[in-house]
Amino acid sequence: MASERDLMQAVIDGDAGRARALAEAAVSAGDDLLAAVERLVAGIRRVGELWEEGEYFLPELVQGAEAMKAAMAVVNPALGARQLSRQPRGRVVIGTVQGDVHDIGKTLVGTLLAANGFEVHDLGADVPIAAFVAKARETHAQIVGASALLTTTMPVQRELVAALAAAGLAGSVKVLVGGAPTTAAWARAIGAAYAENALRAVAVAESLLRP
Amino acid sequence: MSGRSADMGTLEGFPCPPAMEPVGRSPSGSHATEFLDRLRAGPPLVLDGGLGTMLQSAGLERGTAPDAWNLAKPDAVVAVHRAYVLAGSEAVHTNSFGANPIRLGRFGLADRTVEVNAAAVRLARAAAPAFVIGDVGPSGEYLPPVGQADPARLRAAFAAQAQALAAAAVDALHVETMSDLREARLALEALREAAPGVPVMVSLTFERKRRGFFTVMGDHLAVVLADLARAGADAVGANCSIASPAMRELALEALATATVPVVLQPNAGTPDLMGGAVVYRQSPEEFAEDVAAMAKAGARAVGGCCGTDPRFIAALRARLGGAPAGGDEAAGGGAPAGGEAVS
Repeated sequence: MASERDLMQAVIDGDAGRARALAEAAVSAGDDLLAAVERLVAGIRRVGELWEEGEYFLPELVQGAEAMKAAMAVVNPALGARQLSRQPRGRVVIGTVQGDVHDIGKTLVGTLLAANGFEVHDLGADVPIAAFVAKARETHAQIVGASALLTTTMPVQRELVAALAAAGLAGSVKVLVGGAPTTAAWARAIGAAYAENALRAVAVAESLLRP
Repeated sequence: MSGRSADMGTLEGFPCPPAMEPVGRSPSGSHATEFLDRLRAGPPLVLDGGLGTMLQSAGLERGTAPDAWNLAKPDAVVAVHRAYVLAGSEAVHTNSFGANPIRLGRFGLADRTVEVNAAAVRLARAAAPAFVIGDVGPSGEYLPPVGQADPARLRAAFAAQAQALAAAAVDALHVETMSDLREARLALEALREAAPGVPVMVSLTFERKRRGFFTVMGDHLAVVLADLARAGADAVGANCSIASPAMRELALEALATATVPVVLQPNAGTPDLMGGAVVYRQSPEEFAEDVAAMAKAGARAVGGCCGTDPRFIAALRARLGGAPAGGDEAAGGGAPAGGEAVS
């Protein structure tokens, strides 16, 4: 397959215009759209790998995700018309906890989750616990992702787990924590899942959705 | 929010004695020239350590802008500055990391930009350091493709903050914790215009990738330093994100290529979980050993970032030799030890 005609390559190149055009061509040609989605997913996975390998950076991640989104905006309605609709893989509310303005790591995670088919609600940085809880309730999220980049704000992750439980959401919402000072041991101690980087966060989020 | 506004009127009752230097002197009265001379020759300049994390330890509540404490809790801000001066910091950064109109706007304080920055300088001056450095953090918005920020809006925000800091007679300005070289350049250019004659240092935050040190946006360390020097920065460097061992490696790379003085402020070492509490395993001495090595290798201004406290600066001061500004009191001058649990 010539690379210019490949949806996977369009995502890797972060070319939203080409991704959209290729998706439109696939729809009007009556191509196998689930196969097209598979190429898009393969593309975004490769983008994630390139980021992990230090070849790609935040702008390339964002552009890859935008290309993915542009193609999916074309493919999804067509899939729906053929009654093959592709549901979001899960709903995630994500943010950096209150008191902490470091938001790049969280943005990386949100970008990769969205690109991998999750419905992501990014609340930004310095997010009050109540805002996490309210958004999780409103969106029926299955996962709340909380980033903390300071030892002084890490304890907020623990408070968030408790607040979700107090709101009666412990059964339906799982908490995924990350950020430079956090560790797997910390996550275990507060009853949350842990991912050491953005790519890993996608795999962990997928595993959290499995019954 | 209501608590803060209620406290704002207490500035008149500011408990600290008047600053050693006359407040409100003209920019020409600042020590800009002495600062530049010191950057270029003589012993390395000892900066301060983490400010935001210290204020949190002093009771800054989440959801409160740290910069708002310049008006609401001036005594607490001075206490942190003073602890650093006693520990041996020759230059302290003003409590104005988020005091640009964009960030202040999130707390409803955009129209108090001048007031917040002027107070920041006054409080730093009250601790009587040799130099007061006006701290300028990121705008809080991202340029495309990561965000939708308008460069002109960011530039105006930096200019407004710089003008306020310069009017309050800072000795230098430090654009720090930048993750995007383009935003750092915008800030540098805005500061140059809004605060002519005030030395400007610029630090970005880097991560170690397989091919070297890069910003999260993908700019390589050497490219960043060269670009900023070309754009007229008086000093260039790195702060935040990485701890002293990695920063020591970064320092060697930076010093090998930089054409202007290098400024470095690593975080305290990666924290650990012990018995359910978060602790920094790195001792101030370990931090000081790394940072002193950076200074010996040629870094011209050194200090700490998130997680460091006056004990780290006191240890650094001891390693570098020379009389600490505050003598023996330094040892007891630190607020909460980094090694203690924060909860």
